[in-house]
Order: sequence, then C-alpha cells, then structure tokens
Amino acid sequence: MKISLFCLLILFVVAPSHAATDQKDTLVLGKISHNPKKHYQYLKPMAKYVIDRMADLGIDKIKIRLAKSKEHLADLLKQGEVDWVTETPIAAAYLHEVAGAEILLRKWKKGVAEYHTVFFSLSGNGIDHLQDLKGKVIALEDPASTSAFYAPASELITQGMKLVRLNSARDKPPADSVGFVFSREEINIATLVHKGVVDAGAFSSDDWIKEDHLPVKYRKDFKIFHRTPDLVRALEIVRQDLEPEIRQRLTEILLDSNDNPAAAHVLRAYQRTMKFDRLSEDQKKSVYNLRIMIKRVDQAVAW
Amino acid sequence: MQIPQVECAMSKLNLFLLLFLLPFSLLAAQSSDGDPTKRQHRLESQTDHHSLLLAQSKPVSNRSVERDYDTFTSTRGGVEIVSSDGEFSATMGGRLLLDAAYYDEDKNSLGNGTEIRSARLDMEGRIFADIIYELSVDFADGDADMKDAWLAYDAYHPWRFILGHFKEPFSLEELTSRKHLTFMERALPNALVPGRNMGLGLQWHGEQVSVAAGLFGDDFNDDSDDEGDEGWGVSTRATYAPIASERSVLHFGASAAYRKLDDEEEYRVDIRPESHLTDVRYLDAGKIKQSRTLTLVGLETAWIYGETSLQAEWLASNLERDDDTDIEFSGWYVQASWFPTGESRHYKHQQARFGRVKPLSELGALELALRYSTLDLTDQDVEGGSSDQITVGVNWYYKPQMRFMMNYSLVKNDRYADADGDLENEDEPKILQLRAQVDF
Repeated sequence: MKISLFCLLILFVVAPSHAATDQKDTLVLGKISHNPKKHYQYLKPMAKYVIDRMADLGIDKIKIRLAKSKEHLADLLKQGEVDWVTETPIAAAYLHEVAGAEILLRKWKKGVAEYHTVFFSLSGNGIDHLQDLKGKVIALEDPASTSAFYAPASELITQGMKLVRLNSARDKPPADSVGFVFSREEINIATLVHKGVVDAGAFSSDDWIKEDHLPVKYRKDFKIFHRTPDLVRALEIVRQDLEPEIRQRLTEILLDSNDNPAAAHVLRAYQRTMKFDRLSEDQKKSVYNLRIMIKRVDQAVAW
Repeated sequence: MQIPQVECAMSKLNLFLLLFLLPFSLLAAQSSDGDPTKRQHRLESQTDHHSLLLAQSKPVSNRSVERDYDTFTSTRGGVEIVSSDGEFSATMGGRLLLDAAYYDEDKNSLGNGTEIRSARLDMEGRIFADIIYELSVDFADGDADMKDAWLAYDAYHPWRFILGHFKEPFSLEELTSRKHLTFMERALPNALVPGRNMGLGLQWHGEQVSVAAGLFGDDFNDDSDDEGDEGWGVSTRATYAPIASERSVLHFGASAAYRKLDDEEEYRVDIRPESHLTDVRYLDAGKIKQSRTLTLVGLETAWIYGETSLQAEWLASNLERDDDTDIEFSGWYVQASWFPTGESRHYKHQQARFGRVKPLSELGALELALRYSTLDLTDQDVEGGSSDQITVGVNWYYKPQMRFMMNYSLVKNDRYADADGDLENEDEPKILQLRAQVDF
C-alpha cells in the first residue's frame, strides 16, 4: 500500500512537471523598456522571423517580455523566464554580472557598430581640454545613460577629476571639481550649452549628427574638445543556461539575416539594425568590464 | 480483522486513483502542444520516463510567461496601459480644438463667433498580439460623430489588413491628422477627397515607399432614402520618399479613386472658405443628378529642409453622367512654412504623412506659414464656382501637445461662387481665425 501510495504521489507530482519541463517550445525575447508599446512593435517582427526558423528544434512559439528595470530583467534571466535579450552594453555588463547572461552577437543598431561620447562647448569659450572643466559645469542626460553619463563621467574620473552633482545649472562647483547637471534630453544639453548656461555638454557621437538632438544652427557654434574611446553600440545576449542547440540556431539565424532579403524589413523594424556580427573574447571582456567603470562612477558620484 | 479489509479497500482506491490520474497526467503533457507528431513523441518519451520515475526526476520548469499579468502604465495626459508581453495595450486620449473667427465681410454675412471645432475621445489598442483597433468619437456638435472605427490584422509586418470606418488612402493633407496640419483648415481642393468610409484595406510600407489600397462602401451612416443600394468605390495611394531622414525629406505621392455612386445617382460637392465657423459654402456644385461614377486623381509632393518646408497637391475629379457628358473639377494648393525657432516638420515615413512638431526649447516653437489654394467647381452646365485663397499662418507650439494658431485669409470668389444661388457672387471677404489646441 505504501508503495502504491508513493507511486501515486510521484505520478501526480512528476508527470505534469515532466510535461512542463518538456514544454520548452517557447522562446522568450526580453528587453528593458520605458516605452513598451513602441518596443513591442519593433521586437515583434524579429521574434516572428526567428521562430519561423526554429520549428525543428521543437520551438514553435515566441513571447516578448518587457522588463521595467535592469534588475527586473536580471531576475527574469535567472529564473529562466527570458532566454534572449537585446540591450545596450551597459545593460549587458550588468546582466552578465548579476544573472550570468552571455553575449551572443553585436547588433549594428541604427547602422552603427560602435559609438563614443563627444565633449563639446561653444567655440572660443576657452575650454579645449578636459582639465579646463575644473570649476566649470557640464550638462549630461540622466543617471541611466551610457554615452551621456557613465562614459563621460568615467572619462573625467580617469583624468583624476572630482565630480559634483549640482541642483541647478546656474550653481557653481568648487574650483577643483567639475559640476554636472542632468537635463533629461539631448536637445536640452545642446540648448543649455548654446545659451551659455553651462560650460560644456557631452553625449554620443550619434546624437552629434542627429538634427533633432543637435540642430545645425547650434552645431556650427560648437566645437568638440574631447572624444572617449569607442563603445559597442548594442548587443544580443542570452541566458547562460540556454540550450546549446538553441543558442547556436539563434546565432545562425541572426547572422544569416544580414544577407537575407526576407529579413530586410525585420532588421529595419529592429531599431534599424544594419547587421549582426561576432565579437572576439577580448571585445566581450571589455563589455563585461564596463561594470567596473559603472561601479567606479557610482562610487565617485556617491548617489 | 478489519485492518486487512481497510488495506484492501485502500489498495483498490489507490489503483482507481492511479488509473484515474494517469490519463489526466498524459493529457497535461499533451495539452502543451497541438502537433500530433510531437504529441506521439511526448507520449513515447513519457512512457519511458515513467519507467524511470524513481531514478531521475527533472526540475520543475518555473517559466511563467503564459500567466504574467504585469502591466506598464504611463500618461502623457491620456492613459496608456501595456501588458508586459506587449500583446495587449490600450491608449485612451483625445483632443480639444477651440476656435474663434472674425470675418471682414464684403457682400455676404459670414457670422463672427466661437466654436468647439473638435472635442474628440480616442481609444486605440492591441489585443492578442496581432489585432489592433481604434475607436474615436467627436462630440463637438453636441452629437456623437463617429470618426475612426476600425480593427486591423497586424501579424505580417509591414503588411496590415484593415477593416471598418477609416479614411480612404487619398491625399497627403487628408491623411495628416488635423492635430498636425500647418493651417487650421485643409485647403480648398480637399472638397474633392473621399474622406472616411466603411471599407477594407491593405497597407504596406518600406523604408522609402508606401502603398495602400482599399474597397469602400459609403459612410457608415449614409442610407439611401429609397432603400436603394449604397455606392462603392476603390482607392489607392502610393508614395515614394527618396529622402526621408531627420529634418530632411523629399516626398512624392499619387492617389487614385473610382466610385460607383449609389442608386440615387446624385453627386454633391461643396466647401467652406477654409474656415469652419461659418456655414457659408461659396463653392457649391449643387445636386448633380443622373451621375454614375466618379473618378479622382491626386498628385502630392513635400520637401523639408531643416526649418523650411514646402508642400503641394493637385486634385481632379471626373464625374460621369448618364448622358455621357463628363463633369471635371480640379484644384491645387501650395504652402510653405518656416520655424524661426529651429524646429522642423516631422515626417512619418511609414504612414507617409506629417506628425507632431516638438519644440526645441521650453519657450516653445514658432512657425510662420503661407498657403495659396484654388478650386474650380464650374464645368459645362454645373456652375459651382471658383475660388482662390491666400492664407498666412502663425503657429506657436507651446508644448508638443499644445499649440495656438492664427490664420489670416484673403478670399477671392468668382461670379459663380454663390453657394448654389443663395449668396451674392464675387464676394471677397477677409478672415481672421484663432485656435487653441490640446491633445492628450
């Protein structure tokens, strides 16, 4: 009787769980999102494109999972609820450290493989080097921005400069420090610099040539006085325990999409991606090492 | 003596439960996949698995993607709710357009005053990933006036199949939302465009090209008095934008439409002098009876270079009558605008129409605009009149969703422009209009 009861119990518990475990027929694509409606629209065509090419692996459904923060997405990766993520290098570094996520491919988001931060100021205002920013104010975007906060802040710290967050753009920092303010949008950074409210601004090289972030009439009055090293523009990453055959197939599908006419509209919808390519192990390490930069900046700024 | 009986009874019960639960367990395994081949494979593997139940048990999957009801909520005045998988969303919004007009009258009274030009509530969203919908109703006249009411199938990006009450694909200015027009009212030739009707359509867009076509009945609330059949029509629009980047656009487009009129065989076209507050319609072709079919063609172009933009359209119609005497109307407009504050008109390349202007500074954006438009509704025995209009516009975009507009127009009507005989002809009024607009 005990044996039959035990069998009954096992059957009751394990048989359905066997079904659930075997139900690996759904691939989940995740992203951190502050605009889920827009992000869903550009993720959906890529999700459909990929899943149409995975049926023989038993994967015939795909879901999109939008997370409200990097911490939330890390939890989802750890719990196995998200398999594949498209994100920035900063997010990729965080998800690698916290959830063990691994870089699959580089994404040429908006046609760009790499980008960097430009420091700029009004021509002729006497700021020609980073050191000239001591006692001055620089406008940055927001505390989550890679190119318009972490990268420029790290560059200043590397040069041995102190950073002080100011409550207002019109406040003055100590003479031995660089004051910074957040202005929320790139166009606001440009406007503050152009009006002379702040001494300098910093954002990505992409934004420098984007008319709605930096109008020509502003740009012609500006000069770039420093550029940071290049940084990978965007990445496709996967959870560390994703089945090897699925990981391999996903890699093949994305790389094949570069030259597949059927993928042209998919890549266009997918943040105007030009193509995907592989990163070397050293390049991956440099992305993962961005966590060091982030921690250094967070410590220096002492939020 | 009772204990063995109890054990026996329990053994039978266990056996019964075992047999009872086994099919459910198998069913649970099957229900995750509708593919018979996979089902068979799973049954086989499950049989093998059950034989090794005690030897190995896999960890329980903890994927909860099918039952996650977390949502994102945001507002920019309206309310937007999106499920965390993106497959369901709803956006509730609306618009309010408040107008005032002063008419420097010439021969006819036009009626100075104020009005609510539009008081609209919109609901749009997505359900089950692939179905999108929009429902918008305008209450400006005190009645509910149905605007967009459609659903679309969105599974095959960039194709979209749409069904319901929506604008026929015809004319750049018509397809640009009133919220984003440079001038308070559309130009005179807009009298010829089909507007919204009940129908089904197919839309496609690339990076620089868009195509849309549809089959349409009449407006949803049109009904022939004599229980005759509704009219029907087809329309199509194709656009090409060789330049479609931020602040730099070159756009070309062509539209065509064909309509079989309803059983009343009556066609009427009229239009106000680019001012909605007056009810006067100088240009009025009256009821053109014994009309069979209507053919429309339109050509459009737009050019944006930074702060400067140009836009022009030419539209023409051919009305076929029972006596085979065709009536032809035509009109065109050209307009220019310039933002001294540095902004640029926003071109939405996927829909090939204009969108929202975003001010660059907290003081807002200033736009200066000029338009010339003309429409001729006179041909053969139809004397609907001809009118030319020049309008100067000043727009202040205080916020992306709020703007103030001022239009000043010089109107010149010809000798047939008499509202089908109800007004004095050759009237040349001047019109000053103001608008406060907010959308959310």
